[in-house]
Amino acid sequence: MQTKRTTFRSWWLPYLLVAPQLAITLVFFIWPAGQAVYQSFLREDPFGLSTTWVGLRNYIRLFDSAEYLASFETTVIFTVCTASLSMGLSLLLAVAVDRMIRTASVYTTLVVWPYAVAPAIAGILWWFMFNPSFGILTYVLEMVGYDWNHRLNGEDAMTLVVLASAWKQISYNFLFFVAGLQSIPMSLREAAAIDGAGPVKRFFTVVFPLLSPTTFFLLVVNINYTMFDTFSTIDASTAGGPGQATTILVYKVYEDGVKGLNLGSSAAQSVILMSIVIALTFIQFRFIERRVQY
Amino acid sequence: MAGIKLSAVKKIYPGAAEPAVKGVDLDIQDGEFVVLVGPSGCGKSTLLRMIAGLETVSDGEIAIGDKVVNQMEPAERDIAMVFQNYALYPHMSVRQNMSYGLKNRKMPKGEIARRIDEAAAVLEITPYLDRKPRALSGGQRQRVAMGRAIVRDPAAFLFDEPLSNLDAKLRLHMRGEIKQLHQRLKTTSVYVTHDQLEAMTLADRLVVLNHGRIEQVGRPLDLYRRPASTFVAGFLGAPAMNLIDAEVTGGALMLAGAALARGLQAEAGRVTAGIRPEALRLRAAPGGNFRLDYVEELGGSRIVHGHIGAQRIIAQTDLAQELSAEMQAELPLEELHLFHATEGHRLSMGLNQPATADPQLVGA
Repeated sequence: MQTKRTTFRSWWLPYLLVAPQLAITLVFFIWPAGQAVYQSFLREDPFGLSTTWVGLRNYIRLFDSAEYLASFETTVIFTVCTASLSMGLSLLLAVAVDRMIRTASVYTTLVVWPYAVAPAIAGILWWFMFNPSFGILTYVLEMVGYDWNHRLNGEDAMTLVVLASAWKQISYNFLFFVAGLQSIPMSLREAAAIDGAGPVKRFFTVVFPLLSPTTFFLLVVNINYTMFDTFSTIDASTAGGPGQATTILVYKVYEDGVKGLNLGSSAAQSVILMSIVIALTFIQFRFIERRVQY
Repeated sequence: MAGIKLSAVKKIYPGAAEPAVKGVDLDIQDGEFVVLVGPSGCGKSTLLRMIAGLETVSDGEIAIGDKVVNQMEPAERDIAMVFQNYALYPHMSVRQNMSYGLKNRKMPKGEIARRIDEAAAVLEITPYLDRKPRALSGGQRQRVAMGRAIVRDPAAFLFDEPLSNLDAKLRLHMRGEIKQLHQRLKTTSVYVTHDQLEAMTLADRLVVLNHGRIEQVGRPLDLYRRPASTFVAGFLGAPAMNLIDAEVTGGALMLAGAALARGLQAEAGRVTAGIRPEALRLRAAPGGNFRLDYVEELGGSRIVHGHIGAQRIIAQTDLAQELSAEMQAELPLEELHLFHATEGHRLSMGLNQPATADPQLVGA
């Protein structure tokens, strides 16, 4: 593929043009990340008066801690549930829109709205609806004989944060799926119809495989979303509780660091989290992306 | 194998000012190769897609064989279609592309393999069976698209401008292959194109469409020799037929005050005269009626552009033709076509023109 190449007359101009972005990356990403790595090898008191070099002991303690390992498990459950729920629902909605002709734009606008809602607001919104005392959904659930209480029941709490996080991400996924579906030539579906495939078979043998680049991209985005951006949703709805039921890794970093002031351990946790994300992204782009090409 | 019968078929798109197809009657015989030809927006593709079942029929009836198929799904109509962009499944290999329709119909594996091998051999795509479509050239993709249709062994093939994405040389080649393939398989085929040359060369029977209506149906040479209207006359043939305003007085065709042809038995009045460029005889003559403007060399022949009076006229001549600035144009009477000056339909001239023109095969 030929790429467009701009030639600058002076050597410093290109550097000047990328300088603002580089400065932001350095100050807000690289520097704090470096600080975190450095801090993860230290033990500090909350006021920063005494600092001891402890080497890898912060890490060793983490992997000995049942609490931390439980948080791992919670994260996996939360990520898998949220990503599959939001991607599944948005694909369903996108397929529905793809079959519509006249009302599609109105429908699309409505589905996109939740994306404009801030994560914390989304958390509060669902927290209200599921509030054990006055929530409307709790009331409905009680009528069908389910006693909802996410303050006491860990599974209820997990359901709540999964619902709130997935709901917010549906709009984003939906837009990409709609665009992806529309880029599949109509004649392919027509050819499949002539080839004797019914609508369901057509979807699974022709449409879905051709959608795989979009699906893969969304998978990467969704996993990153659930692992990091859901922090405020969780903080506003369950605050990681009850117990540790909804404490995912990123929430635990906050809890131990900001609330518990255990800076060394918190830093070590962020470093682990960072390596997980780097590893996941690497695996996804290196190995999975190759298989979705056709 | 089966014939296709269209009776008063109409297509009305909601919100459109006029119907896209305005009542088409057509009887396609079993084994016939019918070409639908016409300019963009004439309804030819819509008609084909209605036969395929990809568009609903607003009014009228379509029958394939002896079954009315108006309400049938495309899959139930026993047709196979070759699309303009080939519509090959990009994530499947050539073999999977060809077997997809057969697997969906629950055909036994052995039979599928046999049919694919056979079709691949005919189309010479056996070496590519395990490749993905993106690893194939345009011509190879075109063959695979045809292979996917052939393995189905359907009642009819439908072609929707299948050659328009190929370059000129390959188009010519594939045109020949499609013709040979049809002679071999003898499957009823309906072929849509806007290319009149493709239409002329491929068709057993040619259907010229204009504004959602059939202008004329017939064998290609019949249409070429006796176009029913100025539209058909102008559409078939390259370079196109000269259509010029003229007047008939006293049995003579008058053009710019001089008689171009005599002995007509046509009513006096204004007419549109149709003259094929290759029918016009030119003779170098000072003071002649034909003024030469410029000449295009085609190698084997040349196209002479000029005018008689104020009317531009094209003549196709052989290389032996002597050229000069002023020439005398003459027209054999049997080569003249007369059309109604405003309505455009063919006028009788009371001549015994050959109604049919079959290529005579020696020893046939």
